[in-house]
Amino acid sequence: MNASAGLSSKVRVGSSQPPESSFKRKRGFFQKDLQHMMYGFGDDPNPLPETVALVEDVVLEYVTDMVHKAQDTASKRGKLLTEDFLFLIRKDSPKLNRCTELLSMNEELKQARKAFEVDEEKLSSIE
Amino acid sequence: MKKSKDPFEIAFEEQDESPPESPTGPDENEAQTPLTLDVSGDDDISNNLRPAVPSTSAAASIPVGTAGPTGKSKEEDEEEEEENMDVELGKLPSSGDPDKTAIMQTILSQFTEGQMSRYESFRRSGFQKSNMKRLLTSITGSAKISMPMTIVVSGIAKMFVGELVETARIVMAERKESGPIRPCHMREAYRRLKLEGKIPKRSVPRLFR
Repeated sequence: MNASAGLSSKVRVGSSQPPESSFKRKRGFFQKDLQHMMYGFGDDPNPLPETVALVEDVVLEYVTDMVHKAQDTASKRGKLLTEDFLFLIRKDSPKLNRCTELLSMNEELKQARKAFEVDEEKLSSIE
Repeated sequence: MKKSKDPFEIAFEEQDESPPESPTGPDENEAQTPLTLDVSGDDDISNNLRPAVPSTSAAASIPVGTAGPTGKSKEEDEEEEEENMDVELGKLPSSGDPDKTAIMQTILSQFTEGQMSRYESFRRSGFQKSNMKRLLTSITGSAKISMPMTIVVSGIAKMFVGELVETARIVMAERKESGPIRPCHMREAYRRLKLEGKIPKRSVPRLFR
């Protein structure tokens, strides 16, 4: 029972995609992360497992559809770039602002880490 | 759920370089009334917040003072070793405007235990980068998933979960139900988001599930 149910819901064969790498999603792929996230956004401290499972399915489908749409716009250019995702959410300003914030934070962190490495080198060369 | 209240307090204290003790009583009460409207999700919390403010602020300021030095070193370690967005706790400063961060600090100092725990979950939760990268690789079929792309998709997905949960809570409020969110609320929330057009539509219907 488990095997057939697992197969039918986990392996997406119907889409016109090249063969996927051997990546079979088991149940509860994002479960732990989702539980904390749902609590943070307003759910119970212990969300119901069936709700978490449903949210996981919805999110996976959402991400999949987003990626496919991004690939559609990217196919004209060739490579899939981060800008394709930003183009997708251009109408949704909270998401867009959040993504630009995340990207700039990532840049800052990279710079900070680089500066830290340079300092370390200097220190080690002095000693 | 994790208990650490300190990193938040410390992050804000650090960044503002102000003494750990919150401002004097009268200032807080004045600043508090407009703020509770933003902070409270439930009516219960806002009603409990006012009488509890002096005690929570006093209680909150004490652990910050003692935990300060150890908290700071932990933040630095996190910044240098880990890549994940936990670091935003320590970052907060320069790019934001000082007004906003001052307001945030005032709000955070007045949080109850439950609110602080929920806020902490909100800030710290996220999709694992490795998992998301694997997922994206399997969807696209190609191996070139850059780190910024993973970060962007994780951020978008997290906000989407937020929309789902908030809409589900609205649905529950309309039906006057309480407790944990049930799948029926979630499905109704999903349906409403679809009507609003926030869900990308599939041009090709998904045939095999």
